[in-house]
Amino acid sequence: MSVKIKILVIALLICVVGVLSIYSSTYQKEGKLWQDIYQRQVFWIFLGILLFLLTSNFNYRGLWDWTYLLYGLAVLLLLLVVFLGIVRLGAQRWLRIVWFNFQPSEIVKLIMVVFLARYFSRKSVDNIDLKADKYGIFKGLIVPFIFTIIPVGLIIDQPDLGSGAIIIFLFVLMLYLGRVKLRHILVFLMVIFLLMPVSWNFLRDYQKDRIMVFLNPNIDPLGAGYTIIQSKIAIGSGGILGKGWLSGTQSQLHFLPESHTDFIFATFAEEWGFFGGVMLMLLYYLLIRQGIYIAECTHDHFGKLLAWGISMLLAVEVVVNLAMNMGFAPVVGLPLPLMSYGGSSVCVTFIALGILVNINKRRAVF
Amino acid sequence: MRTKLATLALIPVFFLLVLGLLNLQLIKGDKYRKLSDKNCIRLIPQLGIRGRISDRNNFVIVDSILSYDVMILPREAGDIDQSLLRLSGILNTPVKDLKENFINNMVSASIPAAVAKNIDAKKAIALEELKIDFPGLVIQPNPIRHYRYGKLACHILGYLNEIDRWRLTKLEDYGYKTKDIVGFGGIEEKYDYYLRQEDGGLSVEVDRKGRFVRVLGFRPPKNGKNIQLTIDMGIQKIAEDVLGERKGSVIVMQPDTGAVLAMVSRPNFNPYIFIKRSEYLLSHVFNNPDAPLFNRSISGAYPPGSVFKAIVSSAGLETGKITLRTVSYCPGYLNVGNHRFNCWSTHGQQGIIDAIAHSCDVFFYRAGLSLGPQMIYEYAVKFGLAKPTGIDLPYEVGGFVPHPLWKKIYRFRNWFNGDTVNLSIGQGDLLVTPLQMTRMMAAFANKGKLATPYLVKAVEEKDISAMQQKITNLGLKAATIEYVRQGLREVVSDAHGTGNILGDLPVSVAGKTGTAEVDGKKSHAWFTGFFPYKDPKFVICVFLEYGGHGLESCILTKEIISRMYREGYIER
Repeated sequence: MSVKIKILVIALLICVVGVLSIYSSTYQKEGKLWQDIYQRQVFWIFLGILLFLLTSNFNYRGLWDWTYLLYGLAVLLLLLVVFLGIVRLGAQRWLRIVWFNFQPSEIVKLIMVVFLARYFSRKSVDNIDLKADKYGIFKGLIVPFIFTIIPVGLIIDQPDLGSGAIIIFLFVLMLYLGRVKLRHILVFLMVIFLLMPVSWNFLRDYQKDRIMVFLNPNIDPLGAGYTIIQSKIAIGSGGILGKGWLSGTQSQLHFLPESHTDFIFATFAEEWGFFGGVMLMLLYYLLIRQGIYIAECTHDHFGKLLAWGISMLLAVEVVVNLAMNMGFAPVVGLPLPLMSYGGSSVCVTFIALGILVNINKRRAVF
Repeated sequence: MRTKLATLALIPVFFLLVLGLLNLQLIKGDKYRKLSDKNCIRLIPQLGIRGRISDRNNFVIVDSILSYDVMILPREAGDIDQSLLRLSGILNTPVKDLKENFINNMVSASIPAAVAKNIDAKKAIALEELKIDFPGLVIQPNPIRHYRYGKLACHILGYLNEIDRWRLTKLEDYGYKTKDIVGFGGIEEKYDYYLRQEDGGLSVEVDRKGRFVRVLGFRPPKNGKNIQLTIDMGIQKIAEDVLGERKGSVIVMQPDTGAVLAMVSRPNFNPYIFIKRSEYLLSHVFNNPDAPLFNRSISGAYPPGSVFKAIVSSAGLETGKITLRTVSYCPGYLNVGNHRFNCWSTHGQQGIIDAIAHSCDVFFYRAGLSLGPQMIYEYAVKFGLAKPTGIDLPYEVGGFVPHPLWKKIYRFRNWFNGDTVNLSIGQGDLLVTPLQMTRMMAAFANKGKLATPYLVKAVEEKDISAMQQKITNLGLKAATIEYVRQGLREVVSDAHGTGNILGDLPVSVAGKTGTAEVDGKKSHAWFTGFFPYKDPKFVICVFLEYGGHGLESCILTKEIISRMYREGYIER
């Protein structure tokens, strides 16, 4: 079986499970809007598959040329959010495009991966060696950080601490994989660590609450701690075999907030139990493993680093979301790729998978 | 090198996630399952109704009516002080009381707490209408006991109260819980298991906002079983009226079966105050030195005085120590050892029947001495003394009959003839309950059978009389019974009989008076007898605590019997 088919099959399996869970979590909710939500997700998945097929046939080397254009587009989109974005759930993260809402921070994550992959795979004209090996602290750390912090700052300001933190985390991973000197990375981590107490004061109150609640959910059981407690109850009450599809009381009776988006895993685990949960984790692991396999087989430095970046983006999103659902990570607004309801997330994930497949297709060229 | 490390890092990360899932779903799964059920399952209680108590003619004595409790749901009430202030205006109750009730009853923000109990229907309706602009107000209908006859028969019935620690530890295994309302004393306590209702409930699934989703289960409430007593409220009322406010007890019983027709004890109490829960009235009852909650008919032990002579006579006749030919001369006293025991009068020549009729002490001093204390003790026990009669009421006491061994062990003294003399006229350490005396007298009425008194005739329409009647034959000679009966009849019919005052009643009464002397206080007045003489249908016992001479009891007995006659309870 070709890599392309493998990736598509795994992705679609996850999507099917996702649609089932979305259907279940909105099943008891009243109103046409809620009832139609799973249909819209199906539409986004079809759109995603289309984008997947397109990008898998589009030469990823084109991204090399368009990197700065894409970066500019990312910053532009984020600025548009600041001025034109619509406010939902207390945050300004969405752009209204004709008839749907688009969340630019999703695509910005992918663009930043492309940008950093390109930055760390530049070569000098007279030498085929990577420049990154010889970068000093300025070129190796400060310049890419400045490029990164601009969109990150805009995202955190939305406020979307989760996406911002993910990009910073990806930045560190790219430094590591892009062969920047370890001591530079350590310096960067030290600076971040030292800045933490200072940055506490710049956080919004609800963000402080969430971090406090992550440390101890019981300090505010009806407020910020509610979601984490309900999510743990939902997952835990599923037991070995789960309560059965459409029978999860936690999500069906609306005890669990955001049960069709960020907390879709809790909905799923409540109804499908431990076996279902482990099967889902296995699917995600196989998907990420495919990405890493492609990255390892690719000789083109840009392609290799891009494949790594995409795999890591997926891995970080999946791991952080699952950990958040189980109460191991603070509640940050991060979707579970391919499962959570949301067009932006689904489409961007399929585009990323398409790029992966394309890298795999072209690795023989180099 | 770096990429290898990144690849390898992925496996432990996913492994940790699986471990997390394992921990939540398998190890802590049960705990979270319970929490999840608690989240969405609510129980709505459906109250059952406690069983009804009626008399032998099916007149209802106690049943349940709806009363209304005012409750406040703290979570929705907003400003509680403000709400209580408004309520106090409508209910005419001081805010302080409401506040105190609220604090005492408050359990959690999501459980309504009662602030006022048993408000009348009018106010309940008025409040119900105000509910729209009174958030968190709950009017809870609540079945409460309704005492149709007020204080009448209060000692038989007992009262209802919140279960106490002692009863809870005893009854926990039978499904009783804290805050349960249970019977205290009387039939309410003894038959609580039958009378007790079983509250049912609806278990419903609710969503996050507590809105109803669907019914998961329903258990219909079970009403308590109805109980029919042997009491005749007509006779009970006569007895209560006649006794008035005197301290003492009246018992009327069927001699053949042991069915109790009336049982009165004074002072009494109003069981309603335990529902009303007025602190003032309750403390009045609990702190009253005359102990109104105490049922003197079964829990009070007193010296019987001359009533006991009926037992001594039987013992003497049965053992042959006394015969019809036994004659004793009464000079008004008897010297035993170096102590002179007086008779209450000077009777001259007395046979057994005369001695009973005139209650001659000297005759019985001699009879007692010839029988000996052990024999008297044995006959006293035979007639049901020194142990509870076994009536179906709680807290019955057994009384006490002294004997030489007891005195040796507990008083460290020898038994003297003086003790025998005292015992043979029902004085000294002897203690009996009015019910024991009634039962003893019934044995003469029904010609030698000892019947166990009982109060409950039927449970939920099912007649249990056959099970309740426990009648043992005393195995006395017919002649013994006959001679004592004659003596008891002479008490009334003889011109000088101590109960002669009862002689002009339209029914022939037989019985025995008693004046039990108490050191330093007025004596207890007894009369216990049966009527009609030929074919007794009723045994009666009238006891007046510190009531004076036995004649006082005879006067009350006369009034009771004549009223019973007038009101048609006695066949003409």
